[in-house]
Amino acid sequence: MRKLILAISAWIVAITAAHSVLNVNWQVLMNDRLPEANRKLNVAYIPVT
Amino acid sequence: MFQGFPEIKEALMSNKMQAAFMVAPMAIALRAQGVPVKIVYLGHRYGSAVVVRKDGPIHRVSDLRGKIMAVPSRFSDERLIVFRALAANGMNAKKDLRMVEMAPPDVAGALAASAIDAFSMGEPYPSQAEIVGFGRVLFHARQYWPDYISCVLVVRQDVIDRRPEAVQVLVDGIARSGMWLDEKDRAKRHRLHAADFVGRFYYHQDPKLLRWALTNPIDRVKYEPLSPRRSDFETIVKLMVETGVLDHAIPFEEFVDTRFAEGAHAMTAWKYEAGDDRAK
Repeated sequence: MRKLILAISAWIVAITAAHSVLNVNWQVLMNDRLPEANRKLNVAYIPVT
Repeated sequence: MFQGFPEIKEALMSNKMQAAFMVAPMAIALRAQGVPVKIVYLGHRYGSAVVVRKDGPIHRVSDLRGKIMAVPSRFSDERLIVFRALAANGMNAKKDLRMVEMAPPDVAGALAASAIDAFSMGEPYPSQAEIVGFGRVLFHARQYWPDYISCVLVVRQDVIDRRPEAVQVLVDGIARSGMWLDEKDRAKRHRLHAADFVGRFYYHQDPKLLRWALTNPIDRVKYEPLSPRRSDFETIVKLMVETGVLDHAIPFEEFVDTRFAEGAHAMTAWKYEAGDDRAK
């Protein structure tokens, strides 16, 4: 039982770490938490001229 | 990066994005609906074209009668240029053509699959159709609309009010980039370099496509002058009213803030060549 819990926990930690590296844009998250005066503007565009 | 203008509009309204490049009529329509945004600068001039199937039956504007044409949005200059071109050929786009809205990345596939007969779109999609070999440019926007505008830089009014210095930095950077891309004698070299890094790091498109769009010919897309001019926008507003996407004309001052373009007048092109660590 203990082995099973350890394996599931390790799997969850690995999946969480992979998700946070691959899918989370940390630059954007950190920027959104800066004081407004220091924040970079988010500029939207589509891939056309 | 977004894939369509409606999504950009929502992101701007919800303050997820503070500024956006969007088609000029959409920005004007947003302002007319009371959304607190202003146009502060242009993204480029020209760079839109109507494309038909290379081996198809459409060889002149009058051949478009009864055909299906894709446009990026009903609030786009790409739609207005179709009205203008057809009117110049004695036709009415409302009666003589069926227009459908389609996200820009989807039009090339739709044309290749014969789901549409033509599309009116900004670069690099006309170039894509030409390079792959199934499309042919019927006409470029410049042929019917001198100093044509498509995308403009729109900024939320609360950002303009609270952080005008940040907006000025953004506009200055765009002005300097435009001058760098159009710099005399170096324009081709700079454009080839821009095609490479924008294709790889921003648009996630084959740089070959952007190389074509930016250099065939060199003035296919222009990046000067980018200051918003009253006469250009009065033409757009007039066409929007005539084509039924705007109830009434709204004054230029209501949707354009020219102070940032005026602030960028003294700017010079970036000093940057391929291989430099950073632009100065």
